[in-house]
Order: sequence, then structure tokens, then C-alpha cells
Amino acid sequence: MIRIAQLSCGPEYSGIQGELEKAAEMVGAELIFPEVSLEDVRNVEERFGIKVASGDLNLAMARATRIVENPDLADAVFVATCFRCAEGAIVRSEIRKYIHEKSRIPVLSYSFTERTTAETLLTRMEALVTTAKFKGLLSRERQTGLTAGIDSGSTTTKAVVMKDNQIIGTGWVPTTEVIKSAEAAYNAALESAGVKREEIEGLGTTGYGRHLVGKEFGAKLIQEEITVNSKGAVFLADAQKGEATVIDIGGMDNKAISVQDGIPGTFTMGGICAGASGRFLELTARRLGVDITELGKLALKGDHRKVPMNSYCIVFGTQSLVNSLSRGSRPEDVAMAACHSVAEQVFEQQLQEVEVKEPVIMVGGTALIEGLPRAMEQLLGLKVMVPKYAQYIGCVGASLLVSGLVED
Amino acid sequence: MVKVMVYPPTSMILADLVERTGHEALVVSKEVRKKVNTPGLDSPPLNMTPDDPKKGLKYAAVDVPSGVRGRMALLGPMIEEADAAIVIRGDDCTLGCTGCARTNELTRFLLKTKRIPLIELDYPEDEFSAKQFVHKIREFLEGLN
Amino acid sequence: MKSTKYVVTSQDSDVLPSDIALKIYELGREINVKETCFGVIIDGEEEDVEATAKEIRAMDPSNIFIKDRGFPPGDPRRCRGHRGGGARPGFYMMQHESEILPLISRGLAAEARGEEVPSSIGAKKRPSLEELEVMINEEFS
Repeated sequence: MIRIAQLSCGPEYSGIQGELEKAAEMVGAELIFPEVSLEDVRNVEERFGIKVASGDLNLAMARATRIVENPDLADAVFVATCFRCAEGAIVRSEIRKYIHEKSRIPVLSYSFTERTTAETLLTRMEALVTTAKFKGLLSRERQTGLTAGIDSGSTTTKAVVMKDNQIIGTGWVPTTEVIKSAEAAYNAALESAGVKREEIEGLGTTGYGRHLVGKEFGAKLIQEEITVNSKGAVFLADAQKGEATVIDIGGMDNKAISVQDGIPGTFTMGGICAGASGRFLELTARRLGVDITELGKLALKGDHRKVPMNSYCIVFGTQSLVNSLSRGSRPEDVAMAACHSVAEQVFEQQLQEVEVKEPVIMVGGTALIEGLPRAMEQLLGLKVMVPKYAQYIGCVGASLLVSGLVED
Repeated sequence: MVKVMVYPPTSMILADLVERTGHEALVVSKEVRKKVNTPGLDSPPLNMTPDDPKKGLKYAAVDVPSGVRGRMALLGPMIEEADAAIVIRGDDCTLGCTGCARTNELTRFLLKTKRIPLIELDYPEDEFSAKQFVHKIREFLEGLN
Repeated sequence: MKSTKYVVTSQDSDVLPSDIALKIYELGREINVKETCFGVIIDGEEEDVEATAKEIRAMDPSNIFIKDRGFPPGDPRRCRGHRGGGARPGFYMMQHESEILPLISRGLAAEARGEEVPSSIGAKKRPSLEELEVMINEEFS
């Protein structure tokens, strides 16, 4: 049973402690509260470095010091404070850095409201447990044998077939009905690889539809997209040694993952905000009358500063863009402004929560929209790499990891 | 007999001094008792549900963190019932129901602006200040009758 | 409604938790008693618990303190053993206040004796600039 140490302030009073426990149970883990003494809490400034006004936050920091002193106390850490609490956000960030710097224990940081449910937390908890439990599997660097991966995403379904560490077939279709789309993508990949389904030694699935597809196709590995995508990303970017940061802006959400020696560590996942995902770029392309595949090239010719945008929100943001067009703004500038808006939101939220270390690898279908990586480069002041097959990172990661299970 | 709220509302010392003078001490554990004895609720550990932060909207706006509003759902009714209050300054070991500094600030503010008899003191550090502490509280409580 | 209270004895008290337990049994009410390191936990119907608490306090008024508890004793929803370890937050507060209980006891005993409360010693005075200058010169000479 994976033990996740809960370092928190407020979930019991927000009425969601039960949801946290349910989420942990669903991923085969239990929440524990490392023992601390009154002295530990009183001396937290000496031991941790700061003391704040809220006692429960001091208690959380005291627990962090205990975990670092005795790493056998917990397999993973979940730090959680109320959304909108500045003191809580500061302490959460410091605890995450503290544990990351002083131990190898994976940390999940989250801010909750009274509406947080177990389902909201599930993917993140799953990723946390995977990182804690499957270090051996996650350290795998080469794909062996003949395996395949299916990434059943909210917007598109992707599939790859790999053999002896090479991608030999791919398939990419819009997601309409989960199983049908998975069939179509998988068949396309098998056909382009020139292999039959029966020859595949192992299949891994990921994405929102991973459980449904995995069950239907008899997958040997069903894994959430945080670990799988980051694994696929560093494989494709040939960055499996040393540090790397993976930015995955998908059709409906976004993630930032810090990777060390090919193993995903700290990660954050943006809430479902369409304004910080491919959905916004889709809407923009439609409004500009161009195909989504052309939006990137158009954006590269534009300057986002010429189109002021007052909101990240997809509704108000689109309104801003439409207003600009009616005032005579060039489509190129509007396209780049949209890319910049998405990049900026991810930069301001997710990228403040992980240590951004080079190489910075952008993946997911949106990475192919050239304006977006360019905007991210401008914001980070760092080179952003978009590897070949960037949209297939999920299925590549799944195919790579499942080959480890097949070998065993 | 007067209802006296103590701050921190978890204080054994203050609650005891209030009760031995024959008044009723308003302490948060009594609110917790009501919660954990409510049949049909199963939301560990305190049987607080997402409805509690909603109840807390009476005391704090929706953009105030849920943990503050949830704690105010417990403390607010106590403040409303209080006819008098004893407040300790410089609370050092406030955890759990009193683990949120914003909630504590709001609680003290609401008590002070309620215009009820209120006494503010520090925890004693030596025998001398302890004698003053006990005496002042006793005088205050006896004066409430 | 059922109610639960802690009965805590200050370190200066001669009354042992076992003495308190015995007294409760003698009183003959429907009260459950659980001995702990700091005193006892009692629970039962509210009126019985209130009445019992008063009588226990009378055993040593300056050294016995009573506190309400939200949960019944051993409730698994709050038990360390069932809930992933770690003390309840209330435990730390009790520990914190227990440290000054002996002082409070002496204050209560003084009140009981009708002792006159000493007025404050002269408030701490800030040194004047001249006095401060003398101190600085002494320190750094």
C-alpha cells in the first residue's frame, strides 16, 4: 500500500477530506499523517526556515521536516491548501521545493475548494502513485520487441506501433466515439506499420479514455498521461539523462512535468480551462477562416503586441480577438496573440509550480502549431524543443513502458 | 448565568474558569459534538461537508478560502450566542479549528465589534502574572451577573 | 445528548487519575471513565456528566480542570490508530495549556485564600538616551 503523507490546511473544514481519502483509495494508496511533536511545531522556523501565522500551515511544514529526516515515513507527499489563500500558496510552494531538494520523494501540490471531488484529483493521485511505485518501470529507456500504444484523448485519438526502439506506424483521428476512434487510430497505425494486430506483443493505453479502451483491447498497461507523456517526450527528444521540463498543452488541459534522468518527478496539471489549451487555438483558427494546421505558420508572421487581449478566458478572449479583427488587425497578429495568450497562461500558472530546467520540450498536438512554441520561448527566455512525433508522446510513452512489462 | 465565548475557542483553561464561576463556556468542541452526533452524516473526520463553507458565507464572502468559511460555520453561531467574551492575545499554539490565522482574525474582530463585555489578556508566564490573570478573569466573570 | 469531558489534573495535584475514577464509581451514575496520562475522560448523558464534573472538581478545586470534548472516547473517526497516525490538533492545544496549569493552579489557590492581588511591578521603562549611551560605551570598550 503506497503511503501518501498529507500535509494540508483546511480540507477537513472545507468538507472534502472524505474526497481526498476516496481518491487515495481509488489508486491503491492511503493517506497518512506523520507524527510530529509540539516542539517540532514551535521550532518550525529553525527547522524549516519560516513560521507563519496559521498554525495548521506550521504543522504541515513541521511534518515536511520529519519526512525529510526520515524518508521511510512516506512514499509520496500530497500538499494541499485552500484555493485563494496566499499564505497557503506560499507555504505549499516552499514545502514542495524543500522536499524536492532534500529527498527523492515525489510531491503533489494542489489547491482545493469545497467543490473538489475525488474524480478531480484522480489523475494527479494516479500519477503520484505511479511515480512512487513504478520507479523501475519508469526508468526504462528503450522500447523492445513489437509493441503499440493508444492515446485516447479528449479531442484526438492517436496510436503508434514500435519495433526495436523505432516508430514504424502511426494513426491520428479526431475523437468522436471513444472505442470507434481508438479502433480507427490503431488500425491506421497497424496498416502503416505493415503488421497485424495479433503480432503485437503488448499494448499500452493512456489519455482520458484509457480505461475504456484498455479494457476493450486487452491492454497490458493502462496508465495516466502525466507519467506516460513525460516519458514519451524525453524519449523522443533524446533527453533521458539529466534534467528536462516537459510542457504538454493538450486539446482540453495542460501539464508541466519536471523530469530527472528519464523519470517524471514534480508535475502540475491545469484545471479544465479552455483558454489555456488547444481549444482556444481551434476557435481562433475557425474565426480566422484557416485550417488549424495553418494557424501556426500564420502566427509566426505576426506580432502579438499589436492585438491587446484583456482576458485569458476563451469566451472573453475570443471576443477580444473578434473586436481586433473588426478594427482592422491583421490575421497574423491575431493568430500570434492567441498563441501568446495560451502560452502566457500556462507560463503564469503551471510553470511557476515546477522547476523549469533545460531542455524545455513542448509536446502534444498543439506543439505543432508553430506560434505556440515560439510564444513560449519568448516568455521563458529559453529555447523550446518540439521533437518529431510530438503529438504521439502519449502512445510512444505507453508503447515504451509496456515493452518493459512484456520483457518481464 | 451568561454565555461566555472564549478565544481561543479551544482553551481548556478559559473554559474551566468560566464554568467554575457558574456561567456557560462557548467552546468549539461543543459545535464539533453536534456535528459528529448528527445521524446520517459520514464525512470524516468532523462530519463537515461542502455545505459548511456555504453556511460560512454568512460571515465571509465567496472569494474567501473555503477553509475560513468552513471554520466560521462552526465559530459563527458561537459568536452570535455570546453575551460576553474572554480573549487571549498572542495565540501561539492554534491548530485545527483555530489553525487558520484569517479565521482567527475574523473571530476576534466579530467579538470585539459586537459590543459585549470583553476582556483581553495574555497567557501568564510566571506565578505573579498568573495570580493577576486568574483574578482579573474572576472579577470579570462575577461582574457579568 | 451524550457528552464527553476531559478531567485534567495539574502536575501539582495530589489527586491521581485512579482516585478520580474511584470517585466516579462511588457516585454511581451511568458514566464511562477512561484513564489517561493527564487525567481521565468521562462520558455519558449530558446532565450526568455535568454533575459529575462539578463533584470531581470539588476534590481539588485549584488543581483540577475540566474541558469539553467533541468526540466520544476511542471514536475511530478521530483515533490515531485508525486515521493514518498523527495526533488530533486538540491534543497539541491541551499539551500547550498543560504546561502553564501549575501557574493557573497557584493563581486559583491564591484566590481561594483571599490573597490580595499584587499590583503590577513598575512597567518596564525604556532607558533614556544618556543611559543607553553609557551602556553602549561600556559594552564596546
